[in-house]
Amino acid sequence: MSIQLNDQMIALINDPKTLKVLASADQDGIPHVVFKGSVSVNADGKLQYLEIIETSQTNRNLVHSIWFRRQVAVGILTQDSRNYQIKGTPVRAVICGELFEKNYIAVRERFGKDADLSTVWIIDPEEIREETFSVQASREREAYPLIGHLDRF
Amino acid sequence: MAESKHSWREDELSLQEVIKKYPDVSPFVILKTDVQRRGVDFTQRAIDAVDPDRDAVVYRGIYSEKNDRIPNGLILRDGTTILADRVVPSSGFNGGRDPYLIDIADGKAVLTDEGKVIEEVGYWPKPDYFDKVTSSGKPMWQVLVARPQRMDINLYQNCDFWKDIGMGCKFCPIAATYSKTKNIKREHLDYQDVAEAVAEALKQPGRFRMIQLCSGSLLGGKELLDDEIDQYITMLKLLEKNFSHKKVMTQLISTAHNERQLRRLHEETILTGYTADIEVLNEEIFNWICPGKAKYIGYQEWKRRLYQAAEIFGPGAVNTGIVSGVELVKPNGFRSEEEALEKGLAEAEELARHGVGVAQTVYRVAEGSYFQKQKAASLDYLTAFAKGLDTLQRRYRQEAYFDDYRTCGNHPNTDLARI
Repeated sequence: MSIQLNDQMIALINDPKTLKVLASADQDGIPHVVFKGSVSVNADGKLQYLEIIETSQTNRNLVHSIWFRRQVAVGILTQDSRNYQIKGTPVRAVICGELFEKNYIAVRERFGKDADLSTVWIIDPEEIREETFSVQASREREAYPLIGHLDRF
Repeated sequence: MAESKHSWREDELSLQEVIKKYPDVSPFVILKTDVQRRGVDFTQRAIDAVDPDRDAVVYRGIYSEKNDRIPNGLILRDGTTILADRVVPSSGFNGGRDPYLIDIADGKAVLTDEGKVIEEVGYWPKPDYFDKVTSSGKPMWQVLVARPQRMDINLYQNCDFWKDIGMGCKFCPIAATYSKTKNIKREHLDYQDVAEAVAEALKQPGRFRMIQLCSGSLLGGKELLDDEIDQYITMLKLLEKNFSHKKVMTQLISTAHNERQLRRLHEETILTGYTADIEVLNEEIFNWICPGKAKYIGYQEWKRRLYQAAEIFGPGAVNTGIVSGVELVKPNGFRSEEEALEKGLAEAEELARHGVGVAQTVYRVAEGSYFQKQKAASLDYLTAFAKGLDTLQRRYRQEAYFDDYRTCGNHPNTDLARI
């Protein structure tokens, strides 16, 4: 089920100083995690990722995900050390047309004339969870107050 | 009592059943395969929603001619492209099946079957050069065909096999297309017109990744096919002026050439990929379906020439196209899908051992062809064949970049190589 990202989260994802990682898996379930600065949120509130390299493992994994409806995850680390995980499913691989060509030009302007663009991936966000350490720890303390080494208590 | 109407649907697995039967094969590719074999039709509101300024709708090539509002091709959400002709169900040329129907739902174009929405669908975008004209005044769309990421040059719009009575490939509509349109087009395109169109097409950033040349066979010359080779070398020489690299992503789909001709292509031009379509992976059935190819070159010699091409052009650069399903056509085709699958894949493996890939084109019965009243193969069979070819590609570590989902988009088995 698709979710709506709030304005604050959209601003964080679209901030070029935010660190972003994309986790995907191949057909055997082998994970693959890579830093991806080109992840953003588009005007429809979907995650957009620009795949530069046609033959990359990420690209293959995203194809596998869209074919068999497998989720991928995007990790976000903000400048002030908050971090979030967004799970979602790739719903569109744009390889031609207006959106593709607009991004192709932008990629080449940014990375130079040798740069290319393989695919504009659109990922439907389905779940978001804050993974900042302090938030995670307090979440656990609240849900499982007895878990932990006894010398702490 | 009313006569019961037997439906083709009762005789074979449905799309959903085939998707369930092959859980490791992309459902998008299975859908593409089904759309290709059955064709598509459009509701009036779907036609009204086509935007000729945005969608590619005009086409002049060796297989068809059109200037209307029907999109040239389809594209699915995952980037899978579909070459599917419009089929009017009542035409009698529908291969024994009903076409999918493209309609509009929630403002989007969708593929439907029996009233149910199957999947969202898009159309191939119109390239910028379509509205331009060459210096001779020719509309560029008439001399250069465009797929989403490939431009196609069909230099010779007829086929010499058809000029030798009874020698044309029985599934092929090239001669019928040419015959229908010869009053409005020349048999051979003007090289300069094509060169100008290609130069213009290359000005569109991010549009094209491949130039493909494909024509009917041109048998003449000092030696068989020398005219054909000269034609392609002339064209490729004009194209090389657009590039600073010695070799660029180009593919020739042609008759099978001899070693001398192959070396000329490789050494004198920018060409990188070579394909000579054997069409049918069985000698006896090939002889029946492709009598011209059998008479002038022969099945075993065709294969030998492919093997030579693989040595000359190198790994991953040579393949051969098959018209998948035509081998089951009556009365001389395989008697069962099981036999066709077993023997076809065994032959494909022999080709793979020699470095030659197989590109599976789904057989859809074409109006104007000798086989125009025949029946297409089942989706189950075509999917099993795609999966079998994909397994071979992986076993023999074959790349498909000259005929993949972007550079061609017409082959279910090479679509599967995306993962």
